[in-house]
Amino acid sequence: MREPAKAQLGAIADNRVIGPITQTDIVRFAGAGGDFNPLHHDPEFVAKSGFPGVIAMGQMQAGILSGWLSDIFGVENVRSFGVRFVAPVFLGDTLTVGGTITAIAETDGETRAEIDLTVSGTKGPVVTGSATAVVAKD
Amino acid sequence: MPELLHSGELDRVEYDIERGKIREFARATFATDPVHTDRDAAQAAGFTDVPATLTHTVVAGHQRDQRTFVEALGLALERVVVGSVKWTYLRPLIAGDHVVGTRRVVDDVRREGKRGGSMRILTLETEYVDADGDPVVRLEEVLIERGDHR
Repeated sequence: MREPAKAQLGAIADNRVIGPITQTDIVRFAGAGGDFNPLHHDPEFVAKSGFPGVIAMGQMQAGILSGWLSDIFGVENVRSFGVRFVAPVFLGDTLTVGGTITAIAETDGETRAEIDLTVSGTKGPVVTGSATAVVAKD
Repeated sequence: MPELLHSGELDRVEYDIERGKIREFARATFATDPVHTDRDAAQAAGFTDVPATLTHTVVAGHQRDQRTFVEALGLALERVVVGSVKWTYLRPLIAGDHVVGTRRVVDDVRREGKRGGSMRILTLETEYVDADGDPVVRLEEVLIERGDHR
């Protein structure tokens, strides 16, 4: 297997910027995941719902966050990944994905990093989260 | 009227982990590690085939009827939001795996809101097992139903 990534406490150097989010991005995620709630693709339905516009599914932002995480640490090294949905994402929002390593400790014979995660939209956080991943001591 | 399955089981999904679906899901979530899309890269990294991305179990959405499950819980769909989701991994899901996920209610509480309304907070846990019956990933979802007064 691959060597775990070297890690040190503090902000993870490479952020990822995704967007502006388009209807195509949302439709592609709907097809992948199977969420066909019309709030995510039907403007007429949305107009009756009280939302000011089509919103992305929270799982899309969660998936974007987890993709960034596993690209850095390796999917086989992630032991847990959790998210809280803080605010909706609208068409045209640009998302910035990042994280901070808050602790590195030995657990079950592995060196594991605790990572705080955030996806921010144009007006602030949309998803916050945390993860645990196996790392190599830097 | 839908009813809960025996022993607190809410629903069950069963699917194959497919190379094409892994690729679709990786693209839809902007994951760039080639292990998800290139079998040679996956094998060079020590996997037997391409691994799924971390939130791949979302594909269960293709099998689930959200309305039926919300009704089975006695929740009002228009007042329900998903508060949080957490995955715990025992090993990566790999193309060729066959998984069965069983979802249960593990907590169901009411909490008084600051403005007098009451919220119902439901915690659901889905355990996925592989073809050998060994657990591979656990998923915890917290659903929040807001009170119906304004």
